[in-house]
Amino acid sequence: MADENILLGAVAYDAKVVPIWEGIREHFRKQSVPMDFCLFSNYERQVESLLAGHIDIAWNTPLAHVRVQKRTEGKSLSLGMRDSDRDFRSRVIVRKDAGIKSLKDLAGKTLAVGSRDSTQARILPLHFLGQQGIDLSTVRLLPFDTDVGKHGDTGTSELDVLKALHEGRAQAGTVGDLIWVLEQAAGRIDTGKLEVLWTTPGFDHCMFDALPTLSASKLELFKKGLFAMKWEIPEHRRILELEGLKQWMPPRQEGYASLRAALDDQKGW
Amino acid sequence: MGRLATVAIDGGDLPFGGGLLALVRPALNGMEPGGVLAVHSRTPAIADEFFTWCKLEHHELLESSAQTGFTRLLIQKGSLGAPRGIMEINQDLPTRAGRLDAATVLEAVPFPAKADPGTGFAPRGARVEPGGPAYPFALNDRDRTAPPDVAALYDQAVSAQWNGDTDIAWDRIKPLSPPLQQALGQIMTFLAENELSALYVPSRFIARVHPAYVEVGMFLSTQLADEARHIDVFLKRARKGGGGLGISHATTSASLHSLLMLEDFTEAAFLLSVLGEGTFLDLLRYIEVNAPDEVTADIVRRARADETRHVHFGMSHVKHALQQDPALYGRLEAAVRRRSATLAGVNGVPAAVQDALTILVARGIDPPSVRRGHETYRELLNVMHENRIKRLASAGFSHDQAQTLSDLHTPNFM
Repeated sequence: MADENILLGAVAYDAKVVPIWEGIREHFRKQSVPMDFCLFSNYERQVESLLAGHIDIAWNTPLAHVRVQKRTEGKSLSLGMRDSDRDFRSRVIVRKDAGIKSLKDLAGKTLAVGSRDSTQARILPLHFLGQQGIDLSTVRLLPFDTDVGKHGDTGTSELDVLKALHEGRAQAGTVGDLIWVLEQAAGRIDTGKLEVLWTTPGFDHCMFDALPTLSASKLELFKKGLFAMKWEIPEHRRILELEGLKQWMPPRQEGYASLRAALDDQKGW
Repeated sequence: MGRLATVAIDGGDLPFGGGLLALVRPALNGMEPGGVLAVHSRTPAIADEFFTWCKLEHHELLESSAQTGFTRLLIQKGSLGAPRGIMEINQDLPTRAGRLDAATVLEAVPFPAKADPGTGFAPRGARVEPGGPAYPFALNDRDRTAPPDVAALYDQAVSAQWNGDTDIAWDRIKPLSPPLQQALGQIMTFLAENELSALYVPSRFIARVHPAYVEVGMFLSTQLADEARHIDVFLKRARKGGGGLGISHATTSASLHSLLMLEDFTEAAFLLSVLGEGTFLDLLRYIEVNAPDEVTADIVRRARADETRHVHFGMSHVKHALQQDPALYGRLEAAVRRRSATLAGVNGVPAAVQDALTILVARGIDPPSVRRGHETYRELLNVMHENRIKRLASAGFSHDQAQTLSDLHTPNFM
């Protein structure tokens, strides 16, 4: 690609994705970093486009990130993540009236789970429960496969899980801690009905991925532009708030090991 | 860890999303970044909730330790997003005979010399979280925006509001002779037209005043309410008792148009309130003294009391600004000259208004009365000029400056 623009791919999981990337593009251009973006309707197509060299950089969910790494035999470049992408956890939430006091009590109960491609609401919590010795064949799963292809970005399936719990259609459910805490902070959880049973170990979330063939100049320019965004600057803050972070962080890999193991176990690659 | 908390709260068994945050968030709001809050909670697994929440809010969870029967958390307040400004504490506004006026508030929380457009609609005294957008306020400094007595003027204005529907004895209006009725209709038309300009001109500036000087906006809003009421009662009076509206003259229109086009707040306060409404006071007094009935006298007396406040605000504004900026006189004179130049074709008071003011005094059309009316009208012009000079002197202009400005003022009164 002779285009001097860094072409970034992102998935349009919400209408706000357009102002986010238009804002970031404007910020990059003010930093003299030519950049443009294109939007995909799902992560699978975005990953294929990155691998085919149609885009320079992909803003990927953890699932898309580890898939890119696997497809490039570990040679892909990780460029950065949000502060909020680090140390994610999932929660097992239970109804207080369900008599579930430990993970073992989940046997015979209905467990609401999020979309099949949601790392935080399905893939990892089920993996971690298995690691805790829970035989998932004894648990009745109530899946909410909403927005498949968006890898759980929309949070819709997690809200479905919480709704099912509030309404008593499930006795237990799995959600990411972000949704759980945000919903509580907004006063939308009936703490008289629901409580946390268990919290999973930590894992990391989204990542900017590139092929190893990305030119060194584009690589440096992208980092320069990205890390120049500051919460204290009003026009930056507007974008950062929309994207759900306060600062961009350098990449780290250790937070994705559990997801790789889960995909091996669940044959989810 | 050995960290000591500066504030501690006991959350009992409140769930994280079931009340505990309502204790934790205000406690952190009251602390400076870097301050440490201790939370004791008997809610199980509470540390997990705070781990995620602190990450989201960019506080640091320094420590969580299980004690006998409770969890102790130490949270260090982060600096990202911490509100700026000094927290108000121990404010206790004094009352006077059970009343609490705006002037007392202004005394307790004075105007800042400069205001930051980035604080938006935050009330003066509130701490402001950074990162809000810059607002398009143009009047961001005290000396050009907010005279010190504006809150007291607002208090007076609020106390002096009256009702153009119920406070006027409309039933007592009797039909007048046709010439007098016609003259009154013309005068009321002219008054209402001028008051419309006095409604529109200040309204253009309210949205430009930084909310740190909200008392200016509050006062101007009373001025708008006053003008609205005046327009209402002047038009009612014209149409009560058998008459109707008169003519709107092109010269009046040109004069008022030049007021509406002003872009500078101080120039507008000067031209509208000091020169325009100041001159209007004399006109209203003239109409009151020569009113054909007590109801008409009552209407213009009430309007004049309101207008006196507007003039006072304009004078205070200009006087304060002149004290801070000696170069202002030159700008104001230039503004008056510019306006005078655009109104070069306006030769005196519009004929219909002049005649109506004459007939008002004459009460009829017999020649001796009309002669008396004409003389009284000519005296009005002198009175207006003299009083303008007095007001200008009182606003801080020298005698020569006042003479020049008064001479240049539009012959159209407003």
